[in-house]
Amino acid sequence: MSLLIQAVGLTKTFPVYEGALSKPSNFVHAVEGVSFEINRKETLGLVGESGCGKTTLGRMVIRLLEPTEGKVLFDGIDLVSLPEKKLRKIRNRFQIIFQDPYSSINPRFTIERIIGEAMLVHKKASSVDIKEKVAFQLERVGLSPDYMKRYPHEFSGGQRQRIGIARALALEPEFIVCDEPVSALDVSIQAQIINLLQDLQNELNLSLLFISHDLNIVGHLSHNVAVMYLGRIVETASSKKLREEPAHPYTQALLSANPIPKPGPKLKRKILHGDVPSPLNPPKGCRFHTRCPEVMDKCRHQAPSSVKISENHWVECHIYD
Amino acid sequence: MKPLLNISNLNVSFQNESGTVHPVRGVGLQVNQGETVALVGESGCGKSVTALSILRLLPSPPARFDSGSIQFLGKDLLELSESEMQSLRGNDIGMVFQEPMTSLNPILTIGDQIAETILLHNNISEKQAKERVLDILKKVAIPSPDQRINQYPHELSGGMKQRVMIAMAISCNPKLLIADEPTTALDVTIQSQILELLESLQKEMGMAILLITHNLGIVAEYAARVAVMYAGKIVEESKTEPLFENPAHPYTRGLLNSLPNLANITRLNPIPGTVPDPAQLPNGCAFQPRCPDALPRCGDQMPSFLKIDKLKEDRRTACFLHDTVELNPL
Repeated sequence: MSLLIQAVGLTKTFPVYEGALSKPSNFVHAVEGVSFEINRKETLGLVGESGCGKTTLGRMVIRLLEPTEGKVLFDGIDLVSLPEKKLRKIRNRFQIIFQDPYSSINPRFTIERIIGEAMLVHKKASSVDIKEKVAFQLERVGLSPDYMKRYPHEFSGGQRQRIGIARALALEPEFIVCDEPVSALDVSIQAQIINLLQDLQNELNLSLLFISHDLNIVGHLSHNVAVMYLGRIVETASSKKLREEPAHPYTQALLSANPIPKPGPKLKRKILHGDVPSPLNPPKGCRFHTRCPEVMDKCRHQAPSSVKISENHWVECHIYD
Repeated sequence: MKPLLNISNLNVSFQNESGTVHPVRGVGLQVNQGETVALVGESGCGKSVTALSILRLLPSPPARFDSGSIQFLGKDLLELSESEMQSLRGNDIGMVFQEPMTSLNPILTIGDQIAETILLHNNISEKQAKERVLDILKKVAIPSPDQRINQYPHELSGGMKQRVMIAMAISCNPKLLIADEPTTALDVTIQSQILELLESLQKEMGMAILLITHNLGIVAEYAARVAVMYAGKIVEESKTEPLFENPAHPYTRGLLNSLPNLANITRLNPIPGTVPDPAQLPNGCAFQPRCPDALPRCGDQMPSFLKIDKLKEDRRTACFLHDTVELNPL
């Protein structure tokens, strides 16, 4: 197993301005001090509720957003300190698939241009063989090469997401950030796309950062899962471990709130009270303490640090200090 | 027992410049008193159109009821006048919509919005109405209701807004609550709060719930009976447990096989192809082009929705794979 991605202490704060010329009046603490690793050919699932910073984190990893602090080592190269020109040269090694297949592809471009443009920019194709190469990518994601001349509005949501995947694959990347790639799709189409991603991963030895709010999907296709709450990763473990022995009270609540498509005697639910606090003023101490069923006095003042509780299982909670 | 709501052979069509589409094609569905029935299906299958038809909330034109009846408390809702319908909406039948963010009026306080329904259907003073609003806000577990009552929707979180929507829907003690994807826009931890709330309100008030959802997990946990819809038709209807244990229709089976499950790491088994365009439905059974078990006759004959023979429980499907018998009309 070799390491491909290593994120260390990634932080992103967005300033909030009240007037056009004033100094920022406050900061949104979207992601704070997050570290994780992804091995080659493996998938790290990133799960959390809306607004917890999943997407911000995903974008920082491939520097579509500049981190406020921290670094990202991609195959040993620090992407954060890399100058623009050099960054551009290696961008073909990592790509992203977006959540919304409707707004993430240009409606005025043909499919050929959507998929082929990056290949031309990175000189992976020339005007002579571009058609052939786009056709190959289309076939790889299960679409007919005849679709090349068509425009995005002629396709369904599932087909558009396949186009988005073909675009990400066009540069033969080693790593892809998948930002909720199936949440806009219906169940039967969702399963098709999940299978496609798994097949492609095996065939092309891809590493994936798979972002989703759906525990079932993340658990199904990830090797390791990181659970995020209000800008922090609160627990990381293998998919199996997380399912069988969730350690953090938030992970336990998430698993318990997840409706299981199997009728039977109802399990006692751990229902979390209240809402997720605003990342403008995250709670002091442990960020989860306002909703935690097992809150202790210490949690209100002191932020817990990451503790290794077993092999490959990390938790950020005072219970395990 | 007579069902509270009995939809039979409902056909709805939409007329537009390019032709006519039939989003609902002969739907039959019963909801008994105090029962939770789930209507499941993928987007565009006609779930919401069916729900909106019950309250006659579809703008007409373009919508047209071509045939069928919707019996509720001995009346056919399709025959009522608009004013009779108005006295029913929000009173005997409440509705919770999918998007709490856009279904509330942003320029009225939540207290005023809930009181509006109460004042419309009850002959009481504004002061009494306010008391009722406070009671209802407590019932839906909104913290510090005497402050919340004067707040505007933008001051509330998504989960709180959905609680306000529920408060409006139950303010006149409806006999039937239609919940159209009530938790789709919410996070899982908030989703479970809302579903538990609906369940406890149902126990307390004895209302029936027609729960429209695409989430089979929610169906399994909260519904007593399920109707599965595909391309404007109900393809299977059953008690919840037998449906999950032994789905009768190939579409239901396909849906269940498509679900990633925390416990299985094996490969998913999706339904091939995509949902047909409602304007160009295939001949015969609409599911036949995607069906792994299609018979030659499926391509030109439409299976009727009948009780499955040889099964003890009352279970119906529209599929030629099963020996079916005509069910006594309700």
